Amino acid sequence: MELHIIVNGRRHDLDVAPDETLLQTIRNRLGLLGTKEGCVEGECGACTMLVEGVPVDSCLYPSPAAEGFNITTIEGIGAGATTPLQEAMVRAGAVQCGFCTPGFVVTLTALLADNPAPSEYEVRSALSGNLCRCTGYAQIIDAVIDTVGSRR
Amino acid sequence: MTVVVGTSTARLDGMSKVRGEAVYGVDVSLPGMLHAGILGSPIPAGTIVALDTSKAEAMAGVWAVITASDAPRHRSGLVVADQRIFAHGYVAFEGEPVAAVAAETPELVRKALDAIRFEVDLIPPVVDLDVAVADGARPVHPDWEDFVTSQEIARSTNVCGALLADPDGVDEAFAAADFVIEDEFRAQRQYQAYLEPRGVVALYEADRYTIHLSHQFPFNVRDRLAQALGVTASAIRVVGHHLGGGFGAKLDITIEPYAALLAKRTGRAVRLVLDRTTDLITAPCREDAIIRLRSGVTTDGRIVAREMNVLLDAGAAATDAPYLCSIPFLLAGAPYRVGPTRVVSRAVYTNTAPTGAFRGVSGTHTVFALEQHTDNIADRLGVDRREFRLQSLMSNGDRLLNGQTLDDLSILREAFDTMEAAAPWASLGREHHRGVGIASCVWLTNPMPGSATVKLNEDGTVGVVTGATENGSGALAMGVAQVAAEELGISVDRVIVSLPDTDTSAYDAGSQGSRTTHVVGRAVREAAAEIRRQIFDVASDLLEVGVEDLEIVDGGVGVKGVASSRIPLAEVATTATFSRGPIAATGRSITPQPQYDPTCASGLLFPTMPTPTYHVHVAEVEVDPVTGNVDVLRYLVVQEVGKAINPAGVYGQIQGGVAQGLGYALYEGLAVGEDGRYRQRTLETYRLPLALDVPRVEAHLLEHADALGPYGAKGVAEPPVVPVAAVIASAVSHAVGAPITRIPITPEDVLD
Repeated sequence: MELHIIVNGRRHDLDVAPDETLLQTIRNRLGLLGTKEGCVEGECGACTMLVEGVPVDSCLYPSPAAEGFNITTIEGIGAGATTPLQEAMVRAGAVQCGFCTPGFVVTLTALLADNPAPSEYEVRSALSGNLCRCTGYAQIIDAVIDTVGSRR
Repeated sequence: MTVVVGTSTARLDGMSKVRGEAVYGVDVSLPGMLHAGILGSPIPAGTIVALDTSKAEAMAGVWAVITASDAPRHRSGLVVADQRIFAHGYVAFEGEPVAAVAAETPELVRKALDAIRFEVDLIPPVVDLDVAVADGARPVHPDWEDFVTSQEIARSTNVCGALLADPDGVDEAFAAADFVIEDEFRAQRQYQAYLEPRGVVALYEADRYTIHLSHQFPFNVRDRLAQALGVTASAIRVVGHHLGGGFGAKLDITIEPYAALLAKRTGRAVRLVLDRTTDLITAPCREDAIIRLRSGVTTDGRIVAREMNVLLDAGAAATDAPYLCSIPFLLAGAPYRVGPTRVVSRAVYTNTAPTGAFRGVSGTHTVFALEQHTDNIADRLGVDRREFRLQSLMSNGDRLLNGQTLDDLSILREAFDTMEAAAPWASLGREHHRGVGIASCVWLTNPMPGSATVKLNEDGTVGVVTGATENGSGALAMGVAQVAAEELGISVDRVIVSLPDTDTSAYDAGSQGSRTTHVVGRAVREAAAEIRRQIFDVASDLLEVGVEDLEIVDGGVGVKGVASSRIPLAEVATTATFSRGPIAATGRSITPQPQYDPTCASGLLFPTMPTPTYHVHVAEVEVDPVTGNVDVLRYLVVQEVGKAINPAGVYGQIQGGVAQGLGYALYEGLAVGEDGRYRQRTLETYRLPLALDVPRVEAHLLEHADALGPYGAKGVAEPPVVPVAAVIASAVSHAVGAPITRIPITPEDVLD
């Protein structure tokens, strides 16, 4: 079926299967591989994208339901430039294997857009849909605190 | 004075990872690539009655369906040759491959797998470890006696690995004890739960297999795949990509043979990536174990005799379990002084997925058991748990049960002191519903060989070509890169470290046992020393001074102390390349095995603790008397690291390792039902630690330089997970006033 979506500011007219997920459309049809597939259960958050600015598990999100929507993937974060959050994550040691990292960047970008000065508890709560097996989360939280602090 | 080593430089691959640019194994695609899938047995034990693939083979777009009749039927394995590519005659675990399909699309693969008719006559599965080793037990493998082993192992029905240590005087020492404490502990399986599922893309070209994947040990993929396929190692090339976590699960081969066989059969590239449930139920997870301990104790607080009986669940294949039998033996006599100790440690076949390596192999449950046992002894003596440990602590020159002398055990006492200064024992866990726990251990640095070629590129950057793997720990992206930068007087962002390729690099023993920075860092130092000689050779001509007067600072070579004399490394490199030849050198490294007593035990396949490190952990918890939930209020680590090459990187390993340990202690468990199937089958039911669960770990590093390690560095990444379950169990038992005998600790355990 026909699908018209705007991904990272670029319009795409596609023909997708009715049961296709947004993750499949973005990775397989558009070749944007930064968004990762970790579980296809909506548990790990590695596939997080923004649909109209709202973080979603793209592995469960039916592509036809995105008709006409603006979608932002990891490749569209910061519109091509590296954001202060991304720089802070590298500086803080918030990245290890990095497979979950795009999902964390997208989730946290949405959080900071919504709540520019979150408390540590608010950051941890916002991350309850993102699994990281390497870091134990502390340095990811540090990166957010660092980003918020440097804005002031 | 070091400039780069000892600083928290940003990891080399950090920016590509936060931007989503890094290409992982599952992101790889090749022209003309087919998709593949595996049909696994739906039941854990049975006789194969029918396997009909004709309908699947007839489907349009299906390129190949292969079964046991299309694959080598010989058995292979790490130590015991007990694994076939496809089940033949019978199945021995749920998910055991019986057929594999290659087709044009993933949807067609699913349809073709559904069209295969597979019938099995069910046999009651062997799942209980005690039942499996009892007289008259049904053998998981009827032909087990015919299996070939690469090392001498005392095997018997369902026992595929065994360590036995029975020194003189154990029974006499028990007879002389004032009382005996006897305990039984059980630990559940733990899934590595790496975020990147296992996957592989295989190609068959010019009589060779090329295997693209992300893996911890590419050279083992080469060697084990060659063994499984019955070809020579050089018929296989393994190309590594960014690795989305492994934690031990990606050290041996698992799905590689199927993609390789399908690629050869179809003449096309074949991609095989597991869905999460298949990955989970077939992963080589941390083994479940039963550990039985008896200690003879005197009323003045000495442990004068010990007996330890361990059953490790190997699942339906031995894989690394015969090695792991040694770990309880190495840990049973340290770091607290014990008398003569008898150890029987056996790896047991069951009708479950083969278990394997997970960070801190077998140490997590062994230390859990030993430390709870130690708590029980202290409690019985009426001595404070920390005080009893200090009284019993070994000292410099004391020996492990294998006879290995530890000359630096005083570090452990220093670690206890550092912990006390950071968090006074008497101040923790004293309020109602709160508890405090403490544990300590010795752990090792894997000694296996590695190498690196270092080259000075013509633009003045430095290339490090190695078969080692960056598993996320930063061992290459920080540690090894920093060593290269330090040695050659450049900033770390001027270093480029290769991804592994078994065709272009010499052997490396993989990212395991915290070895990469320690072993490959040494190889880089050796190569860099030769590079410096080559650089000075050229520069002394250019500058017309003797080599003894030269130095490399800030990416330039010049006369010592004369900044204006410096010529950029790019100029030196270019001059060298087009006059004498490119500047390059290779270094190699292996840690010698420490001295030990080979007669101390039979079946000691993992004989020593090379480059030992020392660890003390403390936790304060609060238990909820209504829900039984455990809240970890504080978690402290004192860890001896030799030298912290990148302090933020070391902290990342401690925080991450503790998080995995907290999961192991409190949430994670793959429970095998009586039907031989896992109860947890998704990441929804397999409960991993979340951001809200894991406290910020308070870490304190001790640095006692190792004579061999680069700048004194020892292994760092593995041990932070080892004592965590022990500490949490100790703290919970303190809070509730009753022993903890199994992990994970459930709310029911807390409320009971």
